Amino acid sequence: MSDGRVLDILSAIDMQVNAGEAVAILGPSGSGKSTLLGLLAGLDQPSQGRVSLLGRALGELDEDARAALRAGRVGFVFQSFQLLPGMTALENVALPLQIGRRRNARGQAEALLHEVGLGERLSHLPRQLSGGEQQRVALARAFAGDPQVLFADEPTGNLDADSGRRIIDLLFGLRDRVGCTLLLVTHDQQLAARCDRVLQLDAGRLVDAT
Amino acid sequence: MSAAALAFGHWRAASRDPGLRLLAVAVVVAVAALSSVAFFADRVERALQQQGAALMAADLVIEQGAPVPQDWLDKADALALRHARTLTFPSVIVANDRPLLVQVKAVEAPYPLRGRLRVDTPQGEVSQVPASGTAWLEGRLRDRLGAQIGVTDVGLGELQLRAAGVLVDEPDRGGNLFQLAPRLMLAYDDVQRSGLLGPASRVKYRLLLAGEADRLQQMRAWLEDRLPRGSELADLENARPELRTALERARRFLSLAALCASLLAGVAIMLATRRYVDRALDGAAVLRTLGMSAAAVLRWHLVQLLLVVIVATALGSLGGLVGQQALVSVLGDWFGEALPAPGLRPALVGLLFGLSMALGFAVPTLLRVGRVPPLRVLRREMDAPGLAAWTVWVLAAGGFFGLMVWQVQDLRLAGGMALALSAALASMMLAGRLLLLALNPLRRAGGNAALGLAALARYPQLTLLQLAGFGLGITLLLLLAVVRVDIIDTWQGSLPEQAPNHFLINLQPEERAALAELLLTRQIANSGLYAMARARLVAIGDRQVDPEDYTDLRARRLAAREFNLGFSADMQRDNRIQAGNWWEPGEPPRAQFSVEEGLAKSLGIQFGDTLTFDVAGQSVRAPVTSLRSVAWDSFNVNFFVVAPPQMALDLPVTYLTSLYLDEASEGLTLELVQQFPAVSVIDVRPILVQVRAIMERGALAVEMVFVFTLLAAALVSVAAAQVSRDERAREVAIMRTLGASRRRLLGGLLAEFGLLGLIGGLLAAGLASVSGYVIAVELFELPGRVSPDVWWFGIGGGTLVVGLVGWLATRRLLGVPPLQVLNSD
Repeated sequence: MSDGRVLDILSAIDMQVNAGEAVAILGPSGSGKSTLLGLLAGLDQPSQGRVSLLGRALGELDEDARAALRAGRVGFVFQSFQLLPGMTALENVALPLQIGRRRNARGQAEALLHEVGLGERLSHLPRQLSGGEQQRVALARAFAGDPQVLFADEPTGNLDADSGRRIIDLLFGLRDRVGCTLLLVTHDQQLAARCDRVLQLDAGRLVDAT
Repeated sequence: MSAAALAFGHWRAASRDPGLRLLAVAVVVAVAALSSVAFFADRVERALQQQGAALMAADLVIEQGAPVPQDWLDKADALALRHARTLTFPSVIVANDRPLLVQVKAVEAPYPLRGRLRVDTPQGEVSQVPASGTAWLEGRLRDRLGAQIGVTDVGLGELQLRAAGVLVDEPDRGGNLFQLAPRLMLAYDDVQRSGLLGPASRVKYRLLLAGEADRLQQMRAWLEDRLPRGSELADLENARPELRTALERARRFLSLAALCASLLAGVAIMLATRRYVDRALDGAAVLRTLGMSAAAVLRWHLVQLLLVVIVATALGSLGGLVGQQALVSVLGDWFGEALPAPGLRPALVGLLFGLSMALGFAVPTLLRVGRVPPLRVLRREMDAPGLAAWTVWVLAAGGFFGLMVWQVQDLRLAGGMALALSAALASMMLAGRLLLLALNPLRRAGGNAALGLAALARYPQLTLLQLAGFGLGITLLLLLAVVRVDIIDTWQGSLPEQAPNHFLINLQPEERAALAELLLTRQIANSGLYAMARARLVAIGDRQVDPEDYTDLRARRLAAREFNLGFSADMQRDNRIQAGNWWEPGEPPRAQFSVEEGLAKSLGIQFGDTLTFDVAGQSVRAPVTSLRSVAWDSFNVNFFVVAPPQMALDLPVTYLTSLYLDEASEGLTLELVQQFPAVSVIDVRPILVQVRAIMERGALAVEMVFVFTLLAAALVSVAAAQVSRDERAREVAIMRTLGASRRRLLGGLLAEFGLLGLIGGLLAAGLASVSGYVIAVELFELPGRVSPDVWWFGIGGGTLVVGLVGWLATRRLLGVPPLQVLNSD
């Protein structure tokens, strides 16, 4: 901090998520949920401690090696959708498949968009879609590579209740089909309850695990 | 899929990016401006070569003291080259019982091979060689002899020739205006019967050749082994120095204007890239979470940029082709005949230039994309570290400087621009920092204007970037809009209406007083009388001067010919000292020379060298104490080498002057010739007309290139206003949500842009004044004079235009529903 004091955002966190498990990280704003998610996904590095993902210790990998580890095996869903504004829905979904050098990327992407109910909106740009639709594209993109792990950061945070519900149904439906591990950050108790396990975070510490 | 393949695959997505679109337009404008001038300059250069050929009446000339051997002619025939022989020698002719020294020239058809021979005959103007038994007489020869065309016979050796026409123009008369003896032209076969071509005669034989370049090259190679010592082989000679100077200035104006346009476009490119990168960062972070390596993300964007730039450069080159055609339609008839077709080289230059400029300006900023932390997907405020702003500017400016030097091949011009640019950027940055400091307290104030002004302080980086963008734009625009007019006025003013249009040479010392009185009583404006002597450069230091030592043709000619060594106490107004000092009036008399810098360069004369001249058998030796540049297009009396008057005391000198004769004083020429028989009057009006035309059309051409500059300046303004558009959109949305009225927000935006324009304009006016002065004095060697209008245009125009541009660029933000903006975050 600017006055020289050290601020611990997360501390004394010891957790393990098994393959195929769905885990919710619950906590109020500022409790460090998103930071924890970033660390678990290898988007950031802890100042102390150790994080492993898919059997690899992330601390031993550099930025690019962590990216390579994610490629095709890790999916993301964000609160603010994070679609590329210049790309159509189809292009956005095909992107991870193309990066992972999968064959028939566009065909697979098209099928996924049909699955999330956007078969008629393939060539639409994000700005031509509603918030709920954008998040469905993001879901399709997240599942495009048949990921082993899916990280979701407040996936309904920007949506109305109705759209939020539909997104969650879709998310769990897709997960059931793919069978991937799910790490979900939310402050929504009901949503958290749909997961196998809930971790409660407060002021950077795990206070409860059910 | 590789990053490059992804970039290709997603080119449509790239084409939707507003930053990339703006960048593409900027590249198109920059390349169009540069390549249109490059195309045009290339065509003019080749036209000048053709004109040079016309000045030799051929493409290749061999000159020697012996007749041209028959096998040379046979070889020329074998190579399908056109050829004609000429010979010249001084001789005395007699007509109406008057003997007169003339320069005889005998020519055979199809002389001239290049250029045009013009002869006035009672039957009208003709352009062929004289028929057997007849001669063409130069106008002043006719006047001297009092000859009547078609009636008078002229005796040349054993020949009697009928004066059949007046020689108006002869292409290979050469650049030497001061050829003393007037010309008599006759048929080549006739002269063989004159009995004057004996072994002791001072005859120069020439073989003129013209044809295809590769055939000429073969002929040249064939001849080089056979040329006897003393023979001289000349190809394209320099055009007349008067025309050279004027054309060189016109070319500099054009280059300067084109450079300003492309520099502005470069700034627009940089600003557009900044916006493109800002928008690309979010996407890049997503790509990183999807597993792309940093290098691959960067590669993707680089390929994307490259694609856009290649397409834009090609379009720009096409634009250049159209632009140069417009220049040609204005300037083409400088050259009398059609210009050569546009070549491929300028297209390539434009392409390379556009490519490297776009990359040079864009890549330093684009590097940020490769450094974006993937965590940005969760924390949008996480920025990608870029190079420091000044590094980006320095890299871009350095790259641009390299390109400028390469493109204009003019270190002084490029250096001047680079220096001005650095000074401009430094002062913009300094002023920007001061402005930010001064605005900081406003962040706590609450008025409409304060709201806008505080926005400047909230985004210091963007503010500095915008100030630099607007400021540079206004500076270059002012430089061309106001200073250009000043410089062109001064240039045209350097050749006033009453510029000398006649030269009087070979006046004897004892005739000086009489001539001065005659000019005074007739109120004829003149440049004063100058003493001169015909002098031959014998040695530079201890080294003997031998034309054979020089490989450069101009140097060879200069070394071989006699100079007009001038004597003067004062330096001509249009001269400028480049090294050393001119002699002061009170200085103790000592022998010294001042040498024209072009001559010094050609002959390898250094400042401080001791030169030895042979003046009618007398040896004159003195050190070079100054080097001068000379404005040959001023039509004042000027000399390659000048010495103080006291050095003339023991030498055989004649006097010369230049004067302005209007239509009414035409008759004076004849009177002068009669009163001072030895004096030659040279009419330089045809050259004067040409120089004036170059000045007028040159000014017009600059106006045309200026259109590109205007376009580029508009682009910079738009790009600079767009730089902060996304930040502004968010702020406006939040403020609207908080209840700020449209009027209040608009007031803030206007105040913000208006202040940027005011400060940018103020700085720009100062910079344009200084650089305008320096450009006039240093680059164009004209007196520096910058109109105070620069300040009005700069400050008033800057505030208004930038305020307007900012308002136009951001007013739509006020109409967008706040939720739309906030949701897109």
